[in-house]
Amino acid sequence: MYARQSGQMGAIMKQKNNSKTGMARLLELAATKKPLMLGSVVLSSLASIASFIPYIAIYLMVREILSVWPRVDSLDAAASLRYGGMAFGGVVLNILFYFGALSCSHLAAFGTLYELKVNFATHLAKVPLGFHILVGSGKLRKIMDENIEKIEEFIAHQLPDIVAAFVAPVVMVVILLAVDWRFGLAAMAGVILSFVLQASMYGNEGAKKMMSQYQKSLENMNNASVEYIRGIAVVKAFKQTVYSFRRLHDTIKEYTSMVIPYTLSWENSFSGFTTLINNIYLFILPVGILIGMNTSDYTGFAATMIFYLIFVPAIAGILMKVMYVNSNSIRILNGVEAMDALLAEPVMSQPAIARGVDSYDVEFQNVSFSYDKSKETKALNGVSFIARQGEVTAIVGASGGGKSTVAHLIPRFFDVTDGALLLGGVDVREMNTSYLMEQVSFVFQDVFLFKQSIRDNIRLGNPTASDEQIVEAARAAQCHEFILKLPKGYDTVIGTKGVNLSGGEKQRVAIARAIVKDAPVIVLDEATAFADPENEHLIQKAFEKLMNNKTVVIIAHRLSTIRSANKIVVMDSGKVLEEGTHEELLALRGKYSLMWQTYNETASWTMKGKGGTVNA
Amino acid sequence: MPDKKKLPRLQDALMLTDKGYKDLKKAIAACTFTNFSMMLPTIVMLEVIMELIKPFTGDEISWNRLWILFAFGIAAAFIVFLCSKNDYKKTYIVSYMESENARTSMAEHIRKLPMSVFNSKDISELTTNLMGDVATTEHVLSHIYPQLFSNAITITVICIMIGFFDWRMGIAIFISVPIAFLIILGSRGVQRKLGKRHADAKLAASEQVQEYIEGLKVIKACNMDGERFGTLEKALRTMRNLAIKFEFGTGIFITGAQVVLQAGVGLTVFVGITLLTGRQIELIPLLMCLLIVTRIYGPIQTELTLLPELLYHQIAIKRMRALMNISPMEGAETPLKEFDIDFKNVNFSYNAGGGETIKDVSVSIQSGGITALVGPSGSGKSTLSRLIARFWDVDGGSITIGGVNVKTLDPEHLMAYMSIVFQDVVLFNDTIYNNIRIGNMNATREQVIAAAKAARCDEFADKLPDGYDTLLGENGSTLSGGERQRLSIARALLKDAPIVLLDEATASLDPESESYIQQAISKLIENKTVIVIAHRLRTIVDADKIIVMNEGEVVEQGTHQELLGKEGLYNKLYSIQQESLGWSI
Repeated sequence: MYARQSGQMGAIMKQKNNSKTGMARLLELAATKKPLMLGSVVLSSLASIASFIPYIAIYLMVREILSVWPRVDSLDAAASLRYGGMAFGGVVLNILFYFGALSCSHLAAFGTLYELKVNFATHLAKVPLGFHILVGSGKLRKIMDENIEKIEEFIAHQLPDIVAAFVAPVVMVVILLAVDWRFGLAAMAGVILSFVLQASMYGNEGAKKMMSQYQKSLENMNNASVEYIRGIAVVKAFKQTVYSFRRLHDTIKEYTSMVIPYTLSWENSFSGFTTLINNIYLFILPVGILIGMNTSDYTGFAATMIFYLIFVPAIAGILMKVMYVNSNSIRILNGVEAMDALLAEPVMSQPAIARGVDSYDVEFQNVSFSYDKSKETKALNGVSFIARQGEVTAIVGASGGGKSTVAHLIPRFFDVTDGALLLGGVDVREMNTSYLMEQVSFVFQDVFLFKQSIRDNIRLGNPTASDEQIVEAARAAQCHEFILKLPKGYDTVIGTKGVNLSGGEKQRVAIARAIVKDAPVIVLDEATAFADPENEHLIQKAFEKLMNNKTVVIIAHRLSTIRSANKIVVMDSGKVLEEGTHEELLALRGKYSLMWQTYNETASWTMKGKGGTVNA
Repeated sequence: MPDKKKLPRLQDALMLTDKGYKDLKKAIAACTFTNFSMMLPTIVMLEVIMELIKPFTGDEISWNRLWILFAFGIAAAFIVFLCSKNDYKKTYIVSYMESENARTSMAEHIRKLPMSVFNSKDISELTTNLMGDVATTEHVLSHIYPQLFSNAITITVICIMIGFFDWRMGIAIFISVPIAFLIILGSRGVQRKLGKRHADAKLAASEQVQEYIEGLKVIKACNMDGERFGTLEKALRTMRNLAIKFEFGTGIFITGAQVVLQAGVGLTVFVGITLLTGRQIELIPLLMCLLIVTRIYGPIQTELTLLPELLYHQIAIKRMRALMNISPMEGAETPLKEFDIDFKNVNFSYNAGGGETIKDVSVSIQSGGITALVGPSGSGKSTLSRLIARFWDVDGGSITIGGVNVKTLDPEHLMAYMSIVFQDVVLFNDTIYNNIRIGNMNATREQVIAAAKAARCDEFADKLPDGYDTLLGENGSTLSGGERQRLSIARALLKDAPIVLLDEATASLDPESESYIQQAISKLIENKTVIVIAHRLRTIVDADKIIVMNEGEVVEQGTHQELLGKEGLYNKLYSIQQESLGWSI
């Protein structure tokens, strides 16, 4: 798959070097399917040329009739009917060419969409994982599902129309000027005037400003309705539906009060445009009268003038098309920009010479890190500690103190800004990502299971694991029992009807996955956070199996769970405050001992009932 | 919908208000005027041609008359301008006003729906109703329906006029129209089938995209980029192929219909010439017919291509109608004086025909004390507490508060007596102050701040740039889990309702946050009737009553000491938790 596409992909990826924007970028995307697009453009041009044929045919026929008028008996009926056939043929050609053009452009469009999506997905897998955490899956999905999808409209419909809209007037001008340049110029005056009118509609500053205000109010209304619906449960609970309803209602009102003047601001120019393109014959008429009054060859003059009178209505159809082409591009461009911004995100660097390791200490050497490099605030600031192989190292501290950042750096979700992170003495940046991933297992609080069987979900940890090994891991992770209770046991597909695992159950599946993987380094980030009390105990048992003789880095709020860790690292505001065993830290009488005290108070807190009895 | 008045079919089909329907008719009339005004230039042009060919029949051409026609032409253009201005204004205003009405009435309807709707319906679906479906209506009302009807009217009138004039020419021009429409209508089955397959493929691809993006962490961790990527790639490829099939499948029919339609041009020329040579038609009428035939198929073709869009609009209408047909929960505003809560033989299941979530539960909860609901996850304790607040109506039995059946109470009225603190805190894109004030919109600023302080919100609010007036961002994205909890407790404190429903947070927080929340909860439950869904049994050992649930049934009840003595489920749960509390790595 990769190989076959790489050629076509080149153009899509190329934009990183020559970052084109706007229409140029859209054309560049379309150009990845050159033969199809070329075919579409040629056919579309032919179609618009063919659309002139009926008018010419009718003119020829009128001339034929006039040449014998009023003795119609002597009319060459066969010739007249040929013109009829020509008119009919013209429209059929127009339709068939246009159908051909759209067929080519659709093939190109769907092909391009497919490649863009594949390419986008490939790129996502190459950027640092932390990027996804920062951007959010919603936005990424929107790009895949909506923004890229919109390009279809441009390539499939607008591009052929734009080209036709340029080719047709040129052909028209040629025809107009070729027959009689004086009439031609008169008709051209009308065409040019309507173009000017159109340009003034789209070009003027006031319209642009209104457009952005309109977009803004539309966006406000969208956000308000999302918020309204998401918050409805709460506002109902507080009997405040009127309040939140009013907020939404205001944005709806505002949208209407914005969109109506915006739309009406086009009233005159739009109506003027419509009027103009339907009355271009009025430009012909005075010129014709002036010429005709002084002509010596009246028959020739009359035939030419009648030709122009019949032909000019054809202009209306073409110019209408140009009109519609303009209005949609902006929306599409915004989508493409969002996609390009993400495609420009640098991929994670891979070492030229990958190194391996045979020992598994994790060492933070003066590590600094910030999520947003433009900002001063650092998530980690000069953090140094060692998590030894075969030991449990716990990281504790208040929320926002940098604990999770530490957990995310070990599997290289992000690269450190300063300092270095070593595994077995080797900088993680000097290892292949896939190699590093083999060395590290992590269990986070947000567990993701795929919509496939539980067996396959566990097997993700180690594709070569036998069924026996999977069951064994599931037993060790305390999930064997609940799995057997599911409708199809290990073959139950997650997410099918009636199969809903609780947070704690999901977590145990994730632990089974980690057990099957059997990596030497284990990172646990608040892994018991969403456990139900009755299975928290089971998860704890599962952990014991998992952590056997590994380098374990654990982040936990419940201090009792980590009090016998080999080392506790206390973090606050991105720095390491204290380090040591539970007893050593208590003896320090510093931050940890304060936390321990608070923890014990919260652990003995109860809701006091009427009786106010205290049970211990 | 309350009024059962029989609406005109079109009004009903488009879900229009009376005013909107009237305005639509006006818009159609305006468009029809424009269409007819567009014929004026053609008439002037014909007159010009007639004048030009006079010398061929031996008459004298009048240049003055041509100048007069030019003046008429200018006047006609002006009329066209006025007409199209008029129809532009009418069509857009009707569509925007109607979409405002539709959005408002739908939002109004949504807020009265029972909670069960928000539980069973996807939230994004409701938003689609409110925004997307209405936008579709907006579009068809401004761009399609007025033009569709006025074109139909104009075409029919022209057809009749030509028919009177010369029925043979009339038939020649219009015979192809019904055939073309029949082709489109006949192919609807195929189109729908292809459309459905395409839509399904799209959905499948979209699901794969979601799995891929959300699961990327796992995918990378397990070094399985290739395989997962393959599944996604295949779904995208299928979607591409079906999209192509769909476009071609529908395109072929539309193109076919267009070709058939345009065959009318050839037919008209043929009939015209035959009639002309037979001296059965004059040159001018023939010319007129020829000019008409080159222009009239345009609007008809447009109608043909718009048909699929109308089908799409019908789907949107169907969705909106389904939403509007859900009946809101109703009830009286009976004042409550006592707050003892009694469950009598309550049965409840989320979906009719599905398993029962609550089975024959009879318990009483005394006012003024703390009652804890405990049990394994999925035992029905959350459901039971939400039934008190009438999120749903029970299937069997009754729930009474102070002797009044909650089924007879207006849901919003009932809510006035309850403060609810659940785990999933929803915040608005507004200031902290306003987010708390939702608890009681009549509260003074002092009261709001006092509640915030009592819930320990000052601890984080003071650190923010504008204190309580700091904007929170979408769904309060800037606050941590613990801070959100405290904010929601502040809301409840401000509300000061006699009954408190509390769903204890399961997520563990750092000790400091945990301690703040405990302090806030202690304030909230002072002197209230409290029902707490407890996950940490340690926190409710002092409750006045503990109700133990398992698989939808109440299995034990009593105080902590009594229940420990029973050596039943509670005892078991409690000892497991004690064990896990003591656990250490």
